[in-house]
Amino acid sequence: MDTFLQVTAYGLLQGGLLALVAVGFSLVWGIMNIVNLSHGAFVILGAYIAWEMQSWIGLDPFLGMFVSAAVLFFVGYFFQRFLINLIVNGPVFITLLLTFGINMILIQGMNLLFTADFRSIQTSYGSNSFEFGNVRIPLVRLLAFLLAIVITFALVAFVKRTRTGISIMATGMDRGAARLMGIQARHVYALTFGISAALAGMAGTMIATIETFDPSKAGKFTLMAFVVAVLGGLGNMYGALVGGLMIGLVESWAGQYLSGTWVNAIAFLVLIIVLIFRPNGLVGKAFYAARVEF
Amino acid sequence: MLEISKLCAGYGRIQVLWDIDLHIGENEIVALVGPNGSGKTTLLRAITGMVHTKSGTVNFLGEDIKGKSIEEIVSRGIAHVPEGRRLFPGLTVRANLELGAWRTKDTNIDHVVELFPRLGERLNQIAGSMSGGEQQMCAIARGLMSKPHLIVIDELSLGLAPVVVDEIIQQLPSIAASGTSILMVDQDVDAALSIASHAYVLEAGQLVLSGKAADLLADPRVQESYLGVG
Repeated sequence: MDTFLQVTAYGLLQGGLLALVAVGFSLVWGIMNIVNLSHGAFVILGAYIAWEMQSWIGLDPFLGMFVSAAVLFFVGYFFQRFLINLIVNGPVFITLLLTFGINMILIQGMNLLFTADFRSIQTSYGSNSFEFGNVRIPLVRLLAFLLAIVITFALVAFVKRTRTGISIMATGMDRGAARLMGIQARHVYALTFGISAALAGMAGTMIATIETFDPSKAGKFTLMAFVVAVLGGLGNMYGALVGGLMIGLVESWAGQYLSGTWVNAIAFLVLIIVLIFRPNGLVGKAFYAARVEF
Repeated sequence: MLEISKLCAGYGRIQVLWDIDLHIGENEIVALVGPNGSGKTTLLRAITGMVHTKSGTVNFLGEDIKGKSIEEIVSRGIAHVPEGRRLFPGLTVRANLELGAWRTKDTNIDHVVELFPRLGERLNQIAGSMSGGEQQMCAIARGLMSKPHLIVIDELSLGLAPVVVDEIIQQLPSIAASGTSILMVDQDVDAALSIASHAYVLEAGQLVLSGKAADLLADPRVQESYLGVG
């Protein structure tokens, strides 16, 4: 029983991080109908930026992640504004191809800049942990989990409550009508992509504090984001949270009770089963009700 | 206020509009009628920059707005209520109205609720869940939120119950009187010509008739083609 609780706690903590990886991916997919294959590369880039900040000026990763977020916001904004916007109305295959290309450039760029060696961000408090009964909760994992939850809720509040956020939702629902309101769709798209990249950067920093990373891990995070976003319900930000926690739990349980190679298979099995019974994902209808294009 | 001359426009290489001349004055309601596929919607879209204009001029408040972006034209004070209403379906009525005031940032909704009191009862309802007539009211109200100089309304009565259409059309003169001229396209030619001061008849992308709405209403060609008289 203690093992089960311990594994469950780890699963939830890991799930919070997966949610943070996925929430920006889901936002971009929901608003712009772009499946961003470079999302995982943004995650890893965020980890490198925080690593470099720590090694240059000794910046704590929980502060460094804001530097990662800021840098990636601009990277994301400019990629969308000057590159992806050119083909955003094209068939989904074209956007897949472009983001796949961006992904390759980012990964090889990071290989050249940072080498392919494994790295991780070490902190003085990295080995601290709490005990709840017989369940051990590492401090860094708990902090990362709590931040992931807070950021997800903050993003939802931003999108639903602020003027800029509502313009993002409106543009996602009907780009043409949004332009008729005077909303600059190109800017809104770039902003959305920037926010998504910033969240990926924060997630990457937190991941770097609890496990090793290198450029080749980008694909894994893109895949995880995809699974979590679809599982939770596309474009639904709470969906990313629920989907992330679920995949975290399933992977943790599978890792404990089945042999290692089954972990990914089980995660996809869960995805397929959920989609059979709830085709719109766990949290149901996406937050936008319909999409119309001129 | 809006002065269109010799306007040619179309989609890609296909030209739809040929040498259109059209004039809208202050506080005026102008109707645009014609059969399906005659280019009415394209003309409205050409005014707000949604289709490519090849030649001619679109002069609005003394400046040529032809070739400007949608956002730019809208910011100069033309609201466009598109065919099919195009509300933001998952947002509330209030959020839809507030988005209408995106450019002016004046989110006071009193003046549009006064025009369409039914919207006042439904401010927190999801726009996509309202009836067609209420959605059309909301779409027009959304267009009026920015207090534009001109509002173009495409297919006002399409798919709506006649009683609701009357309710909406009754409000148009007070909209025009309060400083927002109206250019409307409607398949209900009788209703459109009754409310408008001037009207234009478009056929196959060219203007074939224009003049005072009352004259057109009495014109035998209009009566025969559009009103089923004679």
